[in-house]
Amino acid sequence: MGLDALFDLLRLGFENLLRNKLRSFLTMLGMIFGVGSVIAMLSVGAGARKEILERIQSLGITNIIVNSVKPPAETKTETQAEQRWMDKYGLTFDDRELLDATCPSIDRVLPVNLVKQPVWRGSRRVDASVFGVLPEHLAMFHLEAGRGRVFNELDAVECKQVCLVRQGLVDELQLLEDPIGARVNVGRESFEIVGVLADQAFRSHTQKALAIDGRTQEVYVPYTTSMRTFGTMTFVQKAGSEERTMVELDQMIVVAKSADLVRPTARIIANVLERSHKRKDYEIVVPLELLQQSERTQAVFNAVMLVIAAISLLVGGIGIANIMLATITERTREIGVRRAMGARRRDILLQFLTETATIGVVGGLFGCLFGLAAIRAVVLYTGWQAVIEPHFVIVALAISGGVAILAGLYPARRAAAMDPIGALRYQ
Amino acid sequence: MSGDAIVRLSGVGKVYGDPAHGLVVLRAVDVAIARGEFVGLVGASGSGKTTMMNILGCLDRPTTGTYALAGEDVSKLDDDRLSDLRNRAIGFVFQSFQLIPELTVRENVELPLGYVRGARATRAKRRARAEELLASVGLAQRLGHKPAQLSGGECQRVAIARALANEPALILADEPTGNLDTKSGEDVMQILFGLHAAGRTIVMVTHNPEIAARLPRVVAMGDGRVVRDGPPRKLAGSAAIGAEEAS
Repeated sequence: MGLDALFDLLRLGFENLLRNKLRSFLTMLGMIFGVGSVIAMLSVGAGARKEILERIQSLGITNIIVNSVKPPAETKTETQAEQRWMDKYGLTFDDRELLDATCPSIDRVLPVNLVKQPVWRGSRRVDASVFGVLPEHLAMFHLEAGRGRVFNELDAVECKQVCLVRQGLVDELQLLEDPIGARVNVGRESFEIVGVLADQAFRSHTQKALAIDGRTQEVYVPYTTSMRTFGTMTFVQKAGSEERTMVELDQMIVVAKSADLVRPTARIIANVLERSHKRKDYEIVVPLELLQQSERTQAVFNAVMLVIAAISLLVGGIGIANIMLATITERTREIGVRRAMGARRRDILLQFLTETATIGVVGGLFGCLFGLAAIRAVVLYTGWQAVIEPHFVIVALAISGGVAILAGLYPARRAAAMDPIGALRYQ
Repeated sequence: MSGDAIVRLSGVGKVYGDPAHGLVVLRAVDVAIARGEFVGLVGASGSGKTTMMNILGCLDRPTTGTYALAGEDVSKLDDDRLSDLRNRAIGFVFQSFQLIPELTVRENVELPLGYVRGARATRAKRRARAEELLASVGLAQRLGHKPAQLSGGECQRVAIARALANEPALILADEPTGNLDTKSGEDVMQILFGLHAAGRTIVMVTHNPEIAARLPRVVAMGDGRVVRDGPPRKLAGSAAIGAEEAS
């Protein structure tokens, strides 16, 4: 078939579409919903994939996070020095050294000290999470200063009492002046704010993986400072009693030498810790595994969406087939005339297939618009991410055109098989 | 006549249903029509006229016998080749016009041009050809109108223009004046006589005795057979015979 003939067929398809606008629109409805679902599914799926990738980037693909956790069955230990009851659990300095020494796949281990002290500014108190971290920890988790600066090796070596805060904390403490250079208290110790972090807050998943508690604010101080100033013991007074805990290492960020070594390293860490920790007072978080778990969840979600989209398209296809059968009965005489004028069966078949494909593709275009609107609504009301790629539109249009052609095949074949004499006599 | 026959039916029979026990509509029909002839086909209802027209128009195949159109035996052609033959060699003029109501007058005339195989004209050429044909039947001003906006006589003129689109060897007109008033019918007949004068071969079914009497040759059908074949006056020596045959 020449281009001219193809163009004629398309023109005929569009003319027939416009001739019965309402009917055409109703015929397309199923296709519009189907394609809209496909576009929305692809975009939300891609958005979720992007979000997962961001998660792993934020947690580090080569990182293994080991957290100290309070074991369910507590054992009280009496320290000889203080003759007091104290909860001792979690990771130890020995664990860190042992891992560093025995596991060649580990590049380095970054310690984190969690200071369980409130932050004060005058009489204002904020229950923030105060982390003692190494300067390289800040770079690893993209903790950059929006204002001021981050603390550096010099601050760490000199155990300077400096801190990094989020803007939220500045607001909660009602620091009216420039926060850079202002002093706040962590517990009873005074710290100078040297920088305000650029981001608003960690995403919840990062918070969870990094064992950041439910507190809304984070404060970062040099690890060395936190160890010298606060140590490993925490005393918290609660309703007349005092809770005393001792955790040497609240968290270890174990950096594997490469992404391939993450899983073996995680297994080694588990084996090493299992021997020295009879109680389960630690947890190992592997971002890579989190990613895979999320991908599995995402795959199930995608499959459900795909089924919904397929059902919509099927219903749309049945609608098209139904209308086309009615159209063919209505246009029986036209078919007879065309056959008498020399149209082959194939010409009739192509004519009606082109008409259904036109309905499908135009329906698909409207479906794309509907899908884009649906995505916008989903993003607006759920806060999910969505990524719209140009090839989604092409895929959706191809699917709608394909479904329409399949749906139109039987009616078109019926039209093509009509006896011209009977068709010409049809009343 | 038979030497330059454009249509040659030899022993053509048509049976609907089982060949042994089915309904016999045509029985061993032998007719030859020379190039440039204007033949009237007359007969009572059920005499086999319509079936014969269908076979002549390659819309149907004979059960027995052979049908040669312009020297080509079409009895055994497959459906596609019959379609091609209808497109290039036959022009149809129907009693009920059979124009496609959704298309304009010009698009209706363009229709057969769009189904030409191989040497299909461009859209511009097809349009030009349609306009030329419509001008030749006096409808140059009605190109963009839909059939519903035309009178019966105008519709039939459009149908004649469409029948001429591919310069067919044979024009088959099935009671072209049957749905028209006297004046419009006469206009249509004048166009057909004009085409005949220009050398076209026309076979026309008519029930109108006056029209049959004006034709140079009339083939009268009865019970699936050709019962008379010749000039209407010569058949019975009177114009009234034409009326008798046509009824």
